[in-house]
Amino acid sequence: MNGLGWGVKSLARHPLRTALSLAGIAVAAAMLLDMVMLSGGIEKSFSEMLLTRGYQVRMTPKGTLPFDSEATISGASRLVIALRSEPGVEAAGAVLGTSLYGRASDSLVTLFGYGIEPQAQALYQLTAGRDLARDDTSGILLSEPAAGLLRAGVGDTVTLVGRLDPQIAEAAIGRKLLVRGQVRWLYDYRGQPSVGTLLPVMQRLARQSSEDRASVLMVKVRDDALVAVVAERLRQRFPQLEVNSVADLVVHFKQRLVYFRQLSYILGSMSLIVAVLLVATLLTITVNERLGEIATLRAIGVSRATIVRQVLAEGAALTFAGATLGILLGLGTARYLDAILTSFPGLPAAFSFFVPRADTLTFAALVLLITGSLAGLYPAWLAARAPVAATLRAEAT
Amino acid sequence: MIPVSLPRWLGASGLFCLLATSPAAAQVAEVAIERALARELELSVGDTVRLGTAPDSMDRRAVVAAVYEPRPDPAEIAKRERHLRMHLPDLAALLGVPDQVDRLGVGLHPGVSADSAAAALNRTAFGFRAYPSSAIAAESSQTFLVVSRFHRAIAVITIVASAVFLLCIMLLKVEERRMDAAVMRFVGVRRRTIFGALLLEAALVAAVGSAAGTGLAFLAGAATNAYYRRFFDTALTFSQITPQIVLFSVLLSLALGLAAGGLASWRLVRTRPMVLWGRG
Amino acid sequence: MSEAGPVLLATALLKDYPMNGETVHALRGVSLRVHRGDYVAIAGPSGSGKSTLLQLIGGIDTPSSGSVEILGTRLESLKDRELTRLRLTRLGFIFQRFHLLPVLTARENVELPMAEAGLGGAERRARARELLAYVGLGGRADHRATQLSGGEMQRVAIARALANRPAVLLADEPTGELDAATGQEILDLFRRLNADGTTLVVVTHDQRLAAEAGRVIHMLDGRILGD
Ligand SMILES: Nc1ncnc2c1ncn2[C@@H]1O[C@H](COP(=O)(O)OP(=O)(O)OP(=O)(O)O)[C@@H](O)[C@H]1O
Ligand SMILES: [Mg+2]
Repeated sequence: MNGLGWGVKSLARHPLRTALSLAGIAVAAAMLLDMVMLSGGIEKSFSEMLLTRGYQVRMTPKGTLPFDSEATISGASRLVIALRSEPGVEAAGAVLGTSLYGRASDSLVTLFGYGIEPQAQALYQLTAGRDLARDDTSGILLSEPAAGLLRAGVGDTVTLVGRLDPQIAEAAIGRKLLVRGQVRWLYDYRGQPSVGTLLPVMQRLARQSSEDRASVLMVKVRDDALVAVVAERLRQRFPQLEVNSVADLVVHFKQRLVYFRQLSYILGSMSLIVAVLLVATLLTITVNERLGEIATLRAIGVSRATIVRQVLAEGAALTFAGATLGILLGLGTARYLDAILTSFPGLPAAFSFFVPRADTLTFAALVLLITGSLAGLYPAWLAARAPVAATLRAEAT
Repeated sequence: MIPVSLPRWLGASGLFCLLATSPAAAQVAEVAIERALARELELSVGDTVRLGTAPDSMDRRAVVAAVYEPRPDPAEIAKRERHLRMHLPDLAALLGVPDQVDRLGVGLHPGVSADSAAAALNRTAFGFRAYPSSAIAAESSQTFLVVSRFHRAIAVITIVASAVFLLCIMLLKVEERRMDAAVMRFVGVRRRTIFGALLLEAALVAAVGSAAGTGLAFLAGAATNAYYRRFFDTALTFSQITPQIVLFSVLLSLALGLAAGGLASWRLVRTRPMVLWGRG
Repeated sequence: MSEAGPVLLATALLKDYPMNGETVHALRGVSLRVHRGDYVAIAGPSGSGKSTLLQLIGGIDTPSSGSVEILGTRLESLKDRELTRLRLTRLGFIFQRFHLLPVLTARENVELPMAEAGLGGAERRARARELLAYVGLGGRADHRATQLSGGEMQRVAIARALANRPAVLLADEPTGELDAATGQEILDLFRRLNADGTTLVVVTHDQRLAAEAGRVIHMLDGRILGD
């Protein structure tokens, strides 16, 4: 470089000052990074979670979102058969979600029950034992918390109790089931005691079998590019249902968490402003201190462009070092902040607010580097415009 | 026809207040609808609506008897749900579940502990659980505890960032006085005098900065409230600047400003004037 | 560029500084001609306009009227960028207070004008070493400017001024900050430079320097008294 690193090397002249500025930029960069992670992370984490098993479309009662209310769809089996015959549809399955009870020794524990179709499910991943067979009406799947509450493991028998009737003070419908496997339910919150049986079994427990009710229908479209088209066709064919692709759900969800997105924009911009102000102030002051040096350089024939480049490089070096520290700091604070937010009651455990991604990291770093370097523009202009003769003379006083 | 689907638990929110009034057994059910819903469906008192549990079973007629403004509830603002209230028998009939409720409210005689009453009920009753209201309140405020913990964490980071920023600016501000300090030392001004002058300047800057910052905070708070009130169509307060917050921020920035200014001034007056002058 | 003509030609230079509504006439019509190989000393009392003259002929400042030509190029006709380039390649400056960059080493200070002129790294390092050896600082190349004594700093400054093989070296009181012995070393160096063919224009109060120079120009009140 033409200035032989004069600008960047000057940073070492006032170590305390430079260190403080670096610390300031690092904290601002960390905040910016966190906010960038927050603004995109919610969306990303949510859509990844929904797409874990590749089902891109959810169908729910009109006006509701999946598991948002207790509203259900009637005639589920018929609908599923119709869905499977739709062109472009690879798989479709119905799910009924309901609260029910399980008998643990002599007391009852509250559980959440999923009625599923094992051949087309987008709800769980098997962690132990084996999956339900499609006609296994005596089998049950447990989540780890449910296994804990019921004190049962693979191979044990558990008793489920459906809707209770306080008047008779007795379980209306009880059923003994054999634990086939332990699973991780994708949308459970941390510690949610969930169990899964075949859909008809759960319907009977929930007294929903007469109308063959389900909470959600899940559809897997053969080709990702066709999802919007298939969703639109389903919307027309089943006007009584709410048809949402994962992309649609992400939009709904974003609306709900709009607060966090706006917060992230505001705090992100403020961090950026702080970083820019720090760089600009520091450079302005050091440039003012070095006007004599700058005038000398100009006198011996160093061009304005070289001087501007040196000052900009100084700002870029400062921001770069600050941003590097900031990324480390930001990843740490993001984990801490994420731990706070993911303790929201009822939030799926698989969900994160702060998702570190290569592209967000790069984006934050680039934005910071560019604005940090731009922050050097004013001081660089000051440096370039310094009158040579007068400054040299003033230096001699 | 605009479908208003009624998730089962929605009815519950209206139950308690309506239980107190004696339900008139009218031919046509009466409903009270919240203002936002009335506006969206362009309904006013006296209009007839059709209700149902699914779009294909909208077969109950009801008359809008009242339009009400719901109590602002932070838990509801981000949801797009609309509420309406109706008499319990009407809702039960609509849902096809006669004589069934989600919750019962129980009033206790003065002096009875809610915890022991709930425990007694849970021992004898079957098919439901009793909770003291305080437990339910704690449960439902969980979300806001999380949010406020998040806010506190963000605040700590912001305070650290602004503290570093303040230290930095103060240091730079004092170092700008390097030459002046050198000249003063050359002409024989005492260190203590220079230190005092620099400290006074730092204090002034910190004080003016705090005042400006407080003003800015009130402006930003007002803007935040105005924006979110419009955005969520609610009367909730989003940003609240209490005297304690102002006091804390002003004291913190004054203390930091003085500390930083003092430290930087101390460094400056201890440096030999020749070094300050740049020829050391 | 005429090889035969003067290296430096100043004609009827006037320089006024506005001062609180009044005008300070720093130069009141100065003409000067310097030929290749000249060793010119400019002497005169304080405030007589020596530094002002040097700044004008060095293209650092512009005259209120009159003209300056360096190797036949009129400075007034140049854009700022061209003027900067001319200072870089045709002129060498030496200041009373050395004005080295404190964050760079002696060698880097010397390399800087060559880097600006676009010389490759290896080439300019070699030349910087050569120049530092010439001014007698071969062993101190990698010291920071701040670690050198005044005389050493001035020698680094001289090496820097020579970096791009200038047509003229301009120095403003180069011995002003140095003690007698160190000043003498600088004068010896100037004499050697002049003997090796460098053209020198030196502003000075130093009687010894004036005595060594081939030509002495006396200034008073913005005018040349005698040449
Ligand atoms: N920027 C300026 N503004 C106003 N007056 C100036 C300025 N620069 C120089 N002068 C005036 O011009 C005159 C010539 O100054 P100059 O510096 O050229 O003198 P000098 O011969 O170099 O003196 P010295 O030997 O003390 O260095 C002086 O009277 C000075 O006050
Ligand atoms: Mg002078």
